[in-house]
Amino acid sequence: MLAARAQAGDRTAFGELVERYADQARRVARAVLQDSDDADDAAQDAFLAALVKLKQYDATRPFGPWLMRIVANAATDRRRRRTVRRAESLDEGYIGGGPQPDAIAERAVLLGRLRKALAELPERRRLAVVLFDVEGYAHAEIAEILGMPEGTVRSEVFHARRHLRTLLADWREQP
Amino acid sequence: MKDSMTPFDSHPDPVLGAALRAALAPEDSAAFVARVLVAANRPAAPLDVLAGWSRLGIAAALLVALFAGVAVARDAGAEDAETASQDVVIMAGTEAPEAITLLASFPER
Repeated sequence: MLAARAQAGDRTAFGELVERYADQARRVARAVLQDSDDADDAAQDAFLAALVKLKQYDATRPFGPWLMRIVANAATDRRRRRTVRRAESLDEGYIGGGPQPDAIAERAVLLGRLRKALAELPERRRLAVVLFDVEGYAHAEIAEILGMPEGTVRSEVFHARRHLRTLLADWREQP
Repeated sequence: MKDSMTPFDSHPDPVLGAALRAALAPEDSAAFVARVLVAANRPAAPLDVLAGWSRLGIAAALLVALFAGVAVARDAGAEDAETASQDVVIMAGTEAPEAITLLASFPER
């Protein structure tokens, strides 16, 4: 409904869509680019591209997968264009041992390791697991977003989880 | 974290999902939304407009070149067919043509 209003030229509705999907778009872009600034630029490019292409959107279908396809493409394009930057580095010595970290530091280290493990995955696999386990899209929707068969999406999610789960043995959800 | 994962598992893993969500968490959503909306409401820069026109111009030039190529090829084909028909007339006769006919059939160089 909101998307249909935006499609009809309602800029307020478009603003609400941006608000609703901003975090999701930024997470998906970050899963591709591994850099929060680049990810924000890609997410912004995607929203502006979506605004231009809004006439092409089929309002009878869910808006999220349509937008996420644009986000994934914008992030992939930006990754191809950008000069090589240093990936976020982790203090390996700190991870390996040293003084007993407190809970917050331990969590920060775990998140850093998780980002690093995510970065080791092929791009399509990263996107598949983030879209499935973080954003809650169904396999069929992810297949549409990434332009690959549903069976391949299932396989990518499975392999990504197997890679990441080794890091999360001691993960405890914190408020 | 579920231990019994298979490729056929169609349920998101809440623990992995929460961990990844925290790892990818963006900061300052309000500032990002404001930035996107400012960019969306900004009028197109003159260079962007020219870039749009240049794409149209290139497409139009390609079309013109294509039509010109087709026209030239068609004219050349018609000329060849005309020359060939004269040759056929000369060759199909039962009697030898007069010398003047033969000489007249040579194209001028």
